[in-house]
Amino acid sequence: MSIITRSPFLFRINTGSCNGCDVELATTAMIPRYDVERLGCRYTGSPKHADILLVTGPITARSKSYLVEVLDELPNPFVVVAVGTCPTSCGIFRDSYAIEGPLDKYVQVDVNVPGCPPRPQAIIDGVAKALEIWKQKIRNQK
Amino acid sequence: MSANIINFLIFPGGVFAVLFALILVSLERILVARLQGRIGPVFYQNIIDIVKLFNKETLIPKDAKDFVFKFAPLFGFSGMLVLIYFLPIPGVYSGVKGDYDLIILIYFLALPAISYIIGGGASSSPYAAISVSRELKLMLAYESAFIIIAITIALYVGDGKGVFSLKKIVDYQLQHGAFLFDWKMWPAFVAFLIVLLAALEKPPFEIAHHNDADIMDGYLIEYSGAPLALFEITSALKLLVLSIVFQIFFWPSTLSGDLFINFLWFILKTIILLGFIGITHATFASYRADQGFKFLLKVPLVLAIISLILVLLSIKGLI
Ligand code: SF4
Repeated sequence: MSIITRSPFLFRINTGSCNGCDVELATTAMIPRYDVERLGCRYTGSPKHADILLVTGPITARSKSYLVEVLDELPNPFVVVAVGTCPTSCGIFRDSYAIEGPLDKYVQVDVNVPGCPPRPQAIIDGVAKALEIWKQKIRNQK
Repeated sequence: MSANIINFLIFPGGVFAVLFALILVSLERILVARLQGRIGPVFYQNIIDIVKLFNKETLIPKDAKDFVFKFAPLFGFSGMLVLIYFLPIPGVYSGVKGDYDLIILIYFLALPAISYIIGGGASSSPYAAISVSRELKLMLAYESAFIIIAITIALYVGDGKGVFSLKKIVDYQLQHGAFLFDWKMWPAFVAFLIVLLAALEKPPFEIAHHNDADIMDGYLIEYSGAPLALFEITSALKLLVLSIVFQIFFWPSTLSGDLFINFLWFILKTIILLGFIGITHATFASYRADQGFKFLLKVPLVLAIISLILVLLSIKGLI
């Protein structure tokens, strides 16, 4: 059973981030030097394929409904990783009228990767931690 | 068990084909990763992916046509399994000897695309709808070039009369030299490589799915769990089938009479073709949808027709 935890599919959603975290996540974590595919990861284009959901951004009023929809569409078991300070605490956007975060209002967050933006190494470390939690979840489900 | 059942279920069809095809896809991922300076996944990554997907929950969208949605992947999957049982592997496996298997090959090769179209159409997602229409156009565009290449080869082998038996095509090349080294067939060979990339939807033709910035995952967007796993196996098998077709059409040469050495040679040839696919994958970006169709309608078709004309001239004895 443990072998299947070496094949996590990642889905990332941007809930109004400033793109700092997105750049770190989408490009830096996949380009030379920082390689998440080494852990067996693959970015997918649909939440229905995903095992690990990576959320960036402070959840704006506009993007809230999409986030809730994506959370509904994830097949069990899944792990949620909050990338950056924004989804953890809304960061510098905290007191804005247009912010409906943080992320743990909507779903239980399994891993927080702090930083504004976090370093790519930290993101990969976060994904590796998420894999451990995913393994636990698969065990508990059985 | 009779030999036919073994051929269908274990080698070269069935178990062997599925495992080998999945390893091929993983090898391609490793090659792309190495060309980009990364380390990449392990060589059995896609097998793990499939095992995982079979263990996942299967979600069915509320508006989907339930039955069609669930069983669409089986079309392409069974079509590819039958095709691998059917095709001869030069020097290794003689295939099912028929006089018209080239035509059957053309029909069956369209099955995966048709199963994508049915599955995507039944899944009631706007992204899937767009991707299905693109898949349909893509299929029309490359299929016509593929058919002309096949006819060219049939005419060449039969010296003016069409020979539609794959066995005879292989035997002809074993006697007269592979078409890969025949200058009259070079345009058709280039056209075949382009058609191959388009049929596998590798860049520069990654138009209809795995095109995350444009239409997300296309027709696969609503799939999860076991049906998705079947789709992944189908596309891996399609890679294997097309590499066998490549070897039948252009490079059926064998090294010796020994089955095992021929088998290793077959694997080596497949990996050489895979290297080409990996290099284009790592080098090119994808076309925009309309540019892709225009390119496919012009270039491979014209190249295939050039080869057809050259072959017709040589049959008439003019060159
Ligand atoms: S955490 Fe910082 S870098 Fe990341 S989205 Fe928020 S403001 Fe931008």
